[in-house]
Amino acid sequence: MNDVEDVVVALADPTRRRVLERLAGHGQATATMLARELPISRQAVVQHLAVLDAAGLVRGQRHGRERNFEVRAERLRETAAWMERLAAQWDQRLATIKRLSEGDRSR
Amino acid sequence: METDRIEREIEIDAPQERVWEVITEGEHIGVWFGNGEPVKVDLNPGGVMIIDHGHHGTYLMSIVDVDAPRRFSFRWAAAYHDVLATPENSTLVEFTLEPAASGTRLRVTESGFDALNVPEEMRERVSIENHSAGWTEVIKRIDRHAHGEELSPLVPCE
Repeated sequence: MNDVEDVVVALADPTRRRVLERLAGHGQATATMLARELPISRQAVVQHLAVLDAAGLVRGQRHGRERNFEVRAERLRETAAWMERLAAQWDQRLATIKRLSEGDRSR
Repeated sequence: METDRIEREIEIDAPQERVWEVITEGEHIGVWFGNGEPVKVDLNPGGVMIIDHGHHGTYLMSIVDVDAPRRFSFRWAAAYHDVLATPENSTLVEFTLEPAASGTRLRVTESGFDALNVPEEMRERVSIENHSAGWTEVIKRIDRHAHGEELSPLVPCE
């Protein structure tokens, strides 16, 4: 759950979501490349990439003076699966509420 | 933001008042949400509902809205035990009940995942840019990219 929380927190920032989406759109990119497409500085992109990296959402490889980043889709799918599990838990609780409501009506 | 919520509903063959009892009385809550034992609940806005979560500890749910027999909502800090749920550390769970052909339609939403655990200054930015997609939408888009949608080339600037 903590891993998933890291992902949720990392994605709570709209600018960071945009960084991630741009990166996904290009396959691989450096902070310099992303900064050219976004209304934020290269330094800000670097910071957002660091948070995304810490949450396991991107990985970077050194490429000359810069790091080349790519999206790790498996972490996003884990998070999507976590949301689906939460929804399934609610389905179970609702089914129990239904059973309790339809069962004993004498009290 | 629509994308930061889970929404589920079910039709129940019982009167709305009966469903209301089941979702708000400690004896029943213990069965559908707790460990089977009756749950302590102060059924008032601002009241606390204590759910035993075994060896992990307890959940201290903070009740937000009580409007019998239509609406019951509370905050749930699912990641924190023995800590009172606040807007900062929790999601909002809302039950709504309405008459249906079968008896009662019960809907539950759990919302606030986007803002969960996010520091104050960050949350301000979230609300300013609330036209942007929520994180679950980002997951869907990135999944599409991962499944082979063409990628536009980027020109290195060095």
